Amino acid sequence: MKMTLLDTLFILSLVILTIGYILPIYVMFVTSLKTPLEITQRTYLIPGEPLQFQNYIRAFELIFPSLINSSIITISVTAISTFIGGLNGYFLSRYKSRLTKVLFIFMVIGLFIPYQVILIPLVQIMAATKLALTYLGLILSYIILNVPLASTLMGTFFFSLPRELEESAEIDGASRIGIFFKIISPIAAPAYASTSIIIFTQVWNEFLLALTLSTPYTTPITVKLAEIKGSYVALYNLQMAAALLSTMVPLLLFLFLGKYFVRGILAGALKG
Amino acid sequence: MKLSITDILFFLVPTIFFTIILYVMVGWTFYISFSDWQGTAPNYNFVGLKWYQLMFKLDRFWVDIRNNIIWLLVGVGPTAIVAIFLAYILELKSTQRFETYIRNLILYPAAMSFLVTGTIWSWMYQPDKGVINTILKWANLGFLTSNFVTDPATANYWLTLIFFWQYLGFSVIILQSSLRTTYLKEMVEAAAVDGASRMRILFNIVIPNIRGGILILISLLLISALKVFDIVYIVTFGGPGYSTDVLALFMFIATFQQHLVAVGAGLGVIIFIMALIIVIPYTIYAFRRWFG
Repeated sequence: MKMTLLDTLFILSLVILTIGYILPIYVMFVTSLKTPLEITQRTYLIPGEPLQFQNYIRAFELIFPSLINSSIITISVTAISTFIGGLNGYFLSRYKSRLTKVLFIFMVIGLFIPYQVILIPLVQIMAATKLALTYLGLILSYIILNVPLASTLMGTFFFSLPRELEESAEIDGASRIGIFFKIISPIAAPAYASTSIIIFTQVWNEFLLALTLSTPYTTPITVKLAEIKGSYVALYNLQMAAALLSTMVPLLLFLFLGKYFVRGILAGALKG
Repeated sequence: MKLSITDILFFLVPTIFFTIILYVMVGWTFYISFSDWQGTAPNYNFVGLKWYQLMFKLDRFWVDIRNNIIWLLVGVGPTAIVAIFLAYILELKSTQRFETYIRNLILYPAAMSFLVTGTIWSWMYQPDKGVINTILKWANLGFLTSNFVTDPATANYWLTLIFFWQYLGFSVIILQSSLRTTYLKEMVEAAAVDGASRMRILFNIVIPNIRGGILILISLLLISALKVFDIVYIVTFGGPGYSTDVLALFMFIATFQQHLVAVGAGLGVIIFIMALIIVIPYTIYAFRRWFG
């Protein structure tokens, strides 16, 4: 078979991509299992001997409290904003009125407001209400910022659901709320899964708000990682072990529920 | 179906409530940018453009604008172009068996935070004992070594490479779904029967027909590049000097370290206006899809 330009490009990209995407994570993993002395020998591709699994124990002890903090914050935000977004997204996908149109525009723009734009007022509100001292400060902030995303993602899914089921229930005299919980929500379970994964990943990985609104008692994992990178400058093994541990949660979600992860990304691109 | 007040209360009010808070905060930031607030205690005295004038005189502000433009062009352009080629190549019959492998390979960084990515890449990039330079020297390719993010002239570009790395998989996924419409597939097959080369098919048939997908992708990438904060914070913290500083990072530093809150708010306003310009085409497209 004749090699065309595209075939060559393909083989080339296969090789480059494999190296480019495997190498950083491989080096990270190998390094996380070395002693600091072994790291200074700069044999980055070769695993140390013996493997230092205790690095992971030490890293885990360091980040355990912030893993708990991140879990509390992320799970609350994901559950609440997906629920609220589901309600709103359903309504927007079923009714065309001036109200829904205006709300839609504000929502879509809200979806993309960079956090810097609201950071100062947010800090003022959270300080004045003393919410910044508890988990609630971060939880509420993330909910405000993720409801538009949840609405858009859920709405995109509801759009693709056929209306026949609802119509027959309407004829039987069921209420809108009844239809939503009894008929729509069960069918929309995969949509809820996709939206949850996207929001979970986003909140778990968020850094700017976490940095400004957390206290030493509520430090989320991203802020902890930045601290570790700053205070254990030379201990690359510890940095890498902590970074890998912190990314396990979203990475496992991605590995086992990848289908929903991809669908969530696509819903963000308005494809239900 | 008839709408009751209960329905509106139940379905819409929670979202309306949070959306109003969101936009009140945006307006609040605008107001602060015209106030005389410096120091830790709020000061809402209206002083007009006083702090904007100061901001526009700062060299750092213009460096940030330049760097943000580099991010928007060099972060987004290559990512979108490579993603278009890759998504197209992956749809060809001869490459089908590698499709799942490549997709998972390049998508996994999308699940990671920039903190983790930044931690890895800071170390890859380290000039004297970093991974890339060490491997290059070991492979007798010493002439390829670089100072990466410690060289002010090129630091921004090495940072955008991290962005490329993290967003490529995401971009390919979005384009793939556009490529998989039956209509497009039939056109491509017909052109192939007529003997058109695969490159010609890409430029003359595929790209014009996935404009919607490309628009969405570019909007999403532009907004992510505009917001960029975490990568810069963790890898260079704007350095050396402020050569890799961006608006988002300066906003944080001006507000929380220099306590020039009015300037921080002004930077927030600039970021908001840039975001709005980027988001308008997306919003129109989305609006037409929902209500059209």
